[in-house]
Amino acid sequence: MLRRLKFIGALGVMLLLALMVCAGQRFPPPDFESGYRLPSASTPAARQLWLQYADAGVLLAALGIAVWLIYRKRSRRGLFWLSLFSLAYFGFYRKGCVCPIGSPQNIVYGLCNPDYTVPVTVLIFCFAPIVVALFAGRAFCAGVCPQGALQDFVLIKPVAVPLWLEQALSVVPYLFLGAGLIYAGTGTGFVICRYDPFVPFFRLSGGLFILTAGAAFLLAGMVVGRPYCRFLCPYGGLLRLASLVSKWRVRVTPDSCTQCRLCEQSCPFGAMREPAPSGTHPKWLGAERKRLGWLLALLPALVAAGVWAGSKLSPAAAQLHPAVALAERYTRQQSHPIQYGLMTPEALSLERAAEDPKAVLTAAADLRHRFDLACGLFGGWIGLVIGFKLVALSVRPSRTDFEPDRGACLACARCFTACPNERVRLGLMPAAGDPALS
Amino acid sequence: MKPEFELFDRREFFGVVTKTAAIIGLAGGAEGSAEGQGTANPFAYDISRFQKTDPKLIAYEEVTRWPIPHKDARRLAIGPEDQLYVCAGNYINCLSRTGQRGLELALAGPACCVAVAGDGAIFAGLRDHIEVFDSKGGRMARWESPDPKTWFTGLAAGGKDVFAADARKLVVLRYDRTGKIAGRIGRKDAARNVPGFIVPSPFLDVIIHRDGLLRVNNPGRHKVEAYTFDGDLEGAWGKSTAAIEGFCGCCNPIGLAALADGRIVTCEKGIPRVKIYSAAGEFESVVAGSESFPENAHACTDLNDCIHGGIDAAVDSDGRIYILDIVTSDVRVMQRKG
Amino acid sequence: MDAKPPVNGPVTRRQFLRNGARLMAMTGLGVAAGALATRSTGAAWVWQIDPAKCLHCGNCATQCVLEQSAVKCVHAYAVCGYCQLCTGFFWPEPNALTTAAENQLCPTAALQRTYVEDPYYQYSIDEQLCIGCAKCVEGCSRFGNGSLFLQIRHDRCLNCNECAIARTCPGEAFRRAPVEHPYLLKTTSR
Repeated sequence: MLRRLKFIGALGVMLLLALMVCAGQRFPPPDFESGYRLPSASTPAARQLWLQYADAGVLLAALGIAVWLIYRKRSRRGLFWLSLFSLAYFGFYRKGCVCPIGSPQNIVYGLCNPDYTVPVTVLIFCFAPIVVALFAGRAFCAGVCPQGALQDFVLIKPVAVPLWLEQALSVVPYLFLGAGLIYAGTGTGFVICRYDPFVPFFRLSGGLFILTAGAAFLLAGMVVGRPYCRFLCPYGGLLRLASLVSKWRVRVTPDSCTQCRLCEQSCPFGAMREPAPSGTHPKWLGAERKRLGWLLALLPALVAAGVWAGSKLSPAAAQLHPAVALAERYTRQQSHPIQYGLMTPEALSLERAAEDPKAVLTAAADLRHRFDLACGLFGGWIGLVIGFKLVALSVRPSRTDFEPDRGACLACARCFTACPNERVRLGLMPAAGDPALS
Repeated sequence: MKPEFELFDRREFFGVVTKTAAIIGLAGGAEGSAEGQGTANPFAYDISRFQKTDPKLIAYEEVTRWPIPHKDARRLAIGPEDQLYVCAGNYINCLSRTGQRGLELALAGPACCVAVAGDGAIFAGLRDHIEVFDSKGGRMARWESPDPKTWFTGLAAGGKDVFAADARKLVVLRYDRTGKIAGRIGRKDAARNVPGFIVPSPFLDVIIHRDGLLRVNNPGRHKVEAYTFDGDLEGAWGKSTAAIEGFCGCCNPIGLAALADGRIVTCEKGIPRVKIYSAAGEFESVVAGSESFPENAHACTDLNDCIHGGIDAAVDSDGRIYILDIVTSDVRVMQRKG
Repeated sequence: MDAKPPVNGPVTRRQFLRNGARLMAMTGLGVAAGALATRSTGAAWVWQIDPAKCLHCGNCATQCVLEQSAVKCVHAYAVCGYCQLCTGFFWPEPNALTTAAENQLCPTAALQRTYVEDPYYQYSIDEQLCIGCAKCVEGCSRFGNGSLFLQIRHDRCLNCNECAIARTCPGEAFRRAPVEHPYLLKTTSR
């Protein structure tokens, strides 16, 4: 399928012309005497290009409004309506495609395959939320992502996920991201798109497996806040990294924190962090520093181990590629023939392979080499992610107030109204000592 | 009174739901990801029962196979000394009885058909005109077609006449040896009881039978028709059926040849096969069944539709049958068994 | 926006590292975006089937993410032979050359046969009924001129980033076509 798919732009027009030239050799239809005129095939047009640019425009506008709602207006209600709009527009109207979650695959595919040129709209969809995250945190997640909005709307009673589980599962998005990018780069397919559990709901149709998975996520999402966003979304992993270094951060209140702890339980996504003393007790400082040192030294070893383990995965991972699967099926057929049904895709692809087995096998061997490299990179990436996670767990942040974690905060603005200072500031509550109170 | 049943509490409820969803999910996943080995295609187009030839009907065996030097072979013909002339690409190639390459004539365009007269003159039919060569390959003449929308697909050369089958204009033109049009055969004519040719794809063939009549295939009607040189329809035979005794598909036979004793050799596409009928049109035997032409079966799915598929046949004076496979670009020499 | 440390205070190490990381990220994104944007023609892509590579396997009817597939049969009338015995319309060995259901190949009777003049019949496709199973395409291609072929209809196709049919196509017939020319039709010139 995606193997060597030729994305012919202007060449497509030339090919059509070539087709028409060859077609001049075709045997013409009968000469009708009754005045019958040949009908022509109808060609309903695809969705026009300007509409796709309009989608990108709506995305940028929605991002801007989300940032404004989070930082200036500081309104949960505004974000609620914005996310409802995003669900309707990007979710049910656009059927969730093309979406930023899958777009890194297009980018990597475009970088690795000179045949494919990434459309400008896809570039905007991929980079705009990341750029916003670099400056203003995960505003995309808050109000623009339709998958996130869907999960937000089914959240009824958030339950706290145990910290050890949360930290362990937070590695999974990077696994998924790595897998998605290597499969995209090798031209196998877009697995992030394939296993998106919510898009079948937007399309109102899908296979049993993916619909069940989507239903399971939504059911889980009724008690666990945004499970896909926190534990699976690969783009969320990228946004988390970006928002760790963002210029502005989401704070419960711009005012000073009075340590009243009312906001502590307000975050349904487990992103609220309590103040930590800036200095460790001198008794433990040496041990902590030593542990950090060991972990930093371990990092390259983890990466190397990851590269080794990844390259071991390569033959299995390569099987997902249709060309490799075909070559394997063909080779297996020579020694243990299976009777595939008449005109089944397996039988037909074997027939096609039998026309030129050498080409099929060399192509598969080439792909296996590419996969060796790609899986090594993937393994190294996972090693790096695990290493960094361990280092991050050992580094003490100095925090004097209750504030959301930079990376985990989805900027949903739910914590604002939990803080009494913020309520006063927003005019939702009279201040203490206000004559109106008495 | 104690209630007969107890409601789930919230945690149990969610637990049960999650477990059920997980089970359904796994089951669905297992079902969805199975490759379907051995499962059937519900939309399969199944003609396998017609593609098996009863071995008792096959009367010929392949002796040898010769490759053609060029691609896009179309027709072949036998010369007076049993040489083979094959149209392939823009060339006419001559092969001797033993397969040695001989004369090669280069043409200005794709060679569509060929015929050789008793005196060795070679008639090469391009799509819209005929070029005449002597037996050494010297260019002698160029005969035009009266109609610009011509598509010659068959030639037959007699003593004084050359017949050119035009698949586009649905007519067999009768040329004399000087290149003048002496008559038109096969045009739809109710007064003469000529039904007219139906030729959906460019495969109209003409042969001169030893009984002095022409045989022309009428592919759209699944018939082989016999005409006098003046254009009177003397008879027609043929059955529409995919079974072995008839002509399969929508437009067959596509090629004709005649054995020395008057029996007719027919070539079909779709279920590619070469068969022998008696002079009266009764099915007799199979020269090569569809098992012999595996590549031909899907030839018509090529971009340029059926122009690039099919088979043709010719018979030499010893009764050997030469089959030209257009898709594999080779000539198979068939000899009677036993 | 950041209340701590004070805006006019000295830059902390963390802030410096953060700014540096942000700058590097922006540069990296800029380079990647630039590299890809210069190659981009501004075109957008839609999926389409190359009829020359299609193997008529029936996957188009079953693998599309939509209930009723976005792939439908299209007729290139200029290639058709208008045969009375159309092998794309009739089951091999039909009982009679009529439109009775038992004689038809199409499982949904989407292919319609209408008389034009002797001996020609016109075959056209009712898109509401067609499921894109390629049975008629196989019949037409095997025996006839191959004027019936499958195409993705862009009034139905969602243009998924990864086409679910494309990845199971045994002939690798799916390719991306530009939005302006989204069809790969079989044509002829008179």
